[in-house]
Amino acid sequence: MKLDRRTLLRGTCHGAMAVMGLPFLDCFLNSKGQAQTGGRPLPTRFGTFFWGCGLTHSLWIPKKGGTDWEMTVQLKPLEPFRKKLNAFSGLRVPLDSKPNGQHWSGLAAASTGIAPARSWEFESKTIDQQVAEVIGKGVRFRSVAASASGDPRQSYSSLGGSNALPAEATPLSLYMRLFGSGFQDPTKGDWKPDPRILLQKSVLSAVSEDRHRVMQNLGASDRARMDQYFTSVRQTEMQMEAELKRPTIEAKVAIPDAPSKDIVANNAWPNLQVVTPLMARLGAIALATDQTRVFNLSVSSPQNQMFTPGDPLGFHQSTHEEGVDPKLGYQPRVAQYNLESMQLYAALLKELDAIQEGDGTLLDHSVVMAFTDQSYARIHSVDGLPILTAGGASGRLKTGYHMIGDNSPVSRVGLTLQKALGVSVDTWGKDSLQVRTPYTELLA
Amino acid sequence: MQFEKISVQKSVRSSLGVILAIWGGAVSVAALAADPQVVNLRRLTEQEYRNSIADIFGKEIEVRGTFEPTKRTNGLAAVSTSFLSVTPVGFESFSKMANDIAAQVTAESYRAKLPCAPKDAKAHDEACASKIVSHYGLLLFRRPLSGAELDNRVGLARRITEQTNDFYAGVRSSLAMLLQLPDFIFRSEVAVVSSDGKSRTLDSYSRATLLSFLLWNTTPDLELLRAAQGGELNTPAGLAKQVDRLMSAPRLVAGMRAFFDDLLQLDTFDTVSKDSLLYPKWGSGMAESAREETLRTITGLTLQENGDIRDLMTTRQTYLDRRLAVLYRVPFPFTGDWVKYEFPADSGRSGILTQISMLSMFSHPGRTSPTKRGVALADIFLCLPTPDPPNDVDFAEVNDTNSRLKTLRQRLMAHANNKVCAACHDRSDPLGLSLEAFDTIGSYRTTDNGEPIDASATIQGRSFVGAQGLGQYLHDSPRYPACVSRRLHSYGRSGRRWTTEDLADTYKAFASSGFRLRALLRNMALSESFYAAAPSAETSTETAKKVALK
Repeated sequence: MKLDRRTLLRGTCHGAMAVMGLPFLDCFLNSKGQAQTGGRPLPTRFGTFFWGCGLTHSLWIPKKGGTDWEMTVQLKPLEPFRKKLNAFSGLRVPLDSKPNGQHWSGLAAASTGIAPARSWEFESKTIDQQVAEVIGKGVRFRSVAASASGDPRQSYSSLGGSNALPAEATPLSLYMRLFGSGFQDPTKGDWKPDPRILLQKSVLSAVSEDRHRVMQNLGASDRARMDQYFTSVRQTEMQMEAELKRPTIEAKVAIPDAPSKDIVANNAWPNLQVVTPLMARLGAIALATDQTRVFNLSVSSPQNQMFTPGDPLGFHQSTHEEGVDPKLGYQPRVAQYNLESMQLYAALLKELDAIQEGDGTLLDHSVVMAFTDQSYARIHSVDGLPILTAGGASGRLKTGYHMIGDNSPVSRVGLTLQKALGVSVDTWGKDSLQVRTPYTELLA
Repeated sequence: MQFEKISVQKSVRSSLGVILAIWGGAVSVAALAADPQVVNLRRLTEQEYRNSIADIFGKEIEVRGTFEPTKRTNGLAAVSTSFLSVTPVGFESFSKMANDIAAQVTAESYRAKLPCAPKDAKAHDEACASKIVSHYGLLLFRRPLSGAELDNRVGLARRITEQTNDFYAGVRSSLAMLLQLPDFIFRSEVAVVSSDGKSRTLDSYSRATLLSFLLWNTTPDLELLRAAQGGELNTPAGLAKQVDRLMSAPRLVAGMRAFFDDLLQLDTFDTVSKDSLLYPKWGSGMAESAREETLRTITGLTLQENGDIRDLMTTRQTYLDRRLAVLYRVPFPFTGDWVKYEFPADSGRSGILTQISMLSMFSHPGRTSPTKRGVALADIFLCLPTPDPPNDVDFAEVNDTNSRLKTLRQRLMAHANNKVCAACHDRSDPLGLSLEAFDTIGSYRTTDNGEPIDASATIQGRSFVGAQGLGQYLHDSPRYPACVSRRLHSYGRSGRRWTTEDLADTYKAFASSGFRLRALLRNMALSESFYAAAPSAETSTETAKKVALK
């Protein structure tokens, strides 16, 4: 229902019929102003890209490992970033005695290193939050999440338990969160802290002081909830502290003007093609201007509801109901949706790679982990879960590799990325997913 | 107002009492001697928050911000408000909204509405600041502030005023603080020892809060808080007086709309997409109209007409606006917004089952799904949830439109040949298949994939045809009104586990009223068991663990 072609068309600029792609994007984000430079070493950033229902084995996995791998059909959209990419195939997701929660176990295992006992819950912080704790201190937002298909629930970033950190669900709401109230443009010459923040900060410390009173007479689970509440209060306090300091930035970017209206974000492929690059650009600008160092973008729920107009089934339903073509050996419509998912990943990378800073691009100073929930969605299998990463973590992660299946648990990727990002961690994950050995050949 | 004088001792709790309470839990009678216990905290929903602000400060105060999503559990989003907390992102938004609301309330244009004005707007005025803080404190926390709390909040106002030479900056900070404390963002259920000394029951402010949100979907008004202060809500006569007052007000409609919105999952409607190429008639605003139609039908039949709730499954009466009339292919010669309309007997329509809301929410973007519809109906109206299908199930036969099995019905029937599938599909598919005469956006049709629709179904030996047959089946099923009653109890007391025995008495009263929603509500709201501090599912496991440890 949110797919309304008229709404889509109305979102043109200056009456031009720019429906998709860059012209529209430039129009929505009307950039002007001059960039500033600072003198500090560049921070390393982390990002995740989530899409549901995986890829098709025979179409995405290169036959050769190492750096000399051949391009495959489903990785093709990522060709421009080939040298900045790592592809991990054949990863195992041992669940031990845990159930295989449909569309959840694989996702949770990849992002926490723990096979979850229950669906829709995480048993620890997700990897982006573990990383954010180390690299994200002192900046405005510990992390930012966005959902290109327009659902705040489509966030796979969590501090553990049932609560996920809600995603911004439209380009406008993402813009307002990042560059609306509380934001002072660090690219402008006349930067000064907002005096209201000081008052608001004293109110928050008064709120924090009530913690002891609130904790009285609570049962164990409510105590844990209130503990989380006051942790959240503390984080907002730290955000305000950060807002009083001017961030130093290296990149040549400008903050776009606020868009005058929102555009439709939903599961229809034409809309995803518009919204994904928009959100990616906003996220990239936020990273480049050091508003946050962790950006999580999802393009679907695990039961990927993406659909091409005219296809009555859509992605998820197709994985279960489309027959395997006997000649091709795979599900052709599913394969098309797989490919489109990779196009959306490429759209994110493109925005990160377009921003120059220091000796390279924003992407070079980041790692973006693309992950999913199933390796073969048709039968909900998780072994062989695809993970792709892009970006060299400011030179600490070697790139251009296809790490061919060696039966490593999926958590080995998470451990390696954390090492590259400077998280001090010796082991990661639990039970059969616990790993000690990163892919040392990738660590510089 | 007199609330400022209310007992302070509530906040003075000996540490011994706390220890006893923690030890005791629900284990033994010893616990009854302990202090009040918070047995449940519910995070305000977006609508509860918005309604509270509008009723406390007035509709002119705007609430600008986003709210964290809920997570439907056991059929209700309300249940999740008892276990979800507030994430940093959620709090950031609450914090912004609090500052924004407090700024609006202390703005020049609003000041005349505050309970008092300072002697000098550039200096702290202890009496006036106290008056403002205690007035809004009571309304926001749904209980009076303790003396210590009041001192603390007014102290903040004084400090800020001294820094800024602005009385209203001080008051603004105090109000912003109240709005950011969990006492406002969560509504709490506090248990005390009941008058017979044998059990625990909710205290009177918790009762006021419970009743107000249940019946009006908003924060308690001053009259209800007054009754709570006097302890009236813990006496049968006092409770009945307030329940009857709340139930006779037009705002009961708002309360029940919120319940049915949650029960029918209408809050998820705006994440549903339809294929604009296959269904160009579906446009923006359709979901909003369809949701409104269903809520009007329900509250019209159950509250305005005091009808039998079972008739929601069969009635042909509905409410339409122009947009819906187009989808239903009904002439709409009226100029007004909404009109009452009765579908003809041969329309095939049957109650809310065949409204666009239910038909389109539980379908794919470009195709119906009898399974999705059936699973939803079984869960929503019969309290029969369906487990996930096995992981390695092959659905290809179901979708192959080139298969020799032409219609979706024939393809779905393939499930019956597989025992594992049949266990669930034998229940869900017949419910859904009987609605096959309505496409994914709820329009009537006679063919599917070129074949005539066969909307016959058999469940547990009972055969029926089409939506009207299904409507009658659900109408006659004792599970349906029992399910509404169960869900209403869970909605009212979301942190509590309800056993069949707990529900037996109200169900009896519900049945003997001829399934009138008002009778169900009133009996529930007057029954002491509704306020009992029964352990939640979670607490009882913890208690069991503690007992085992001993």
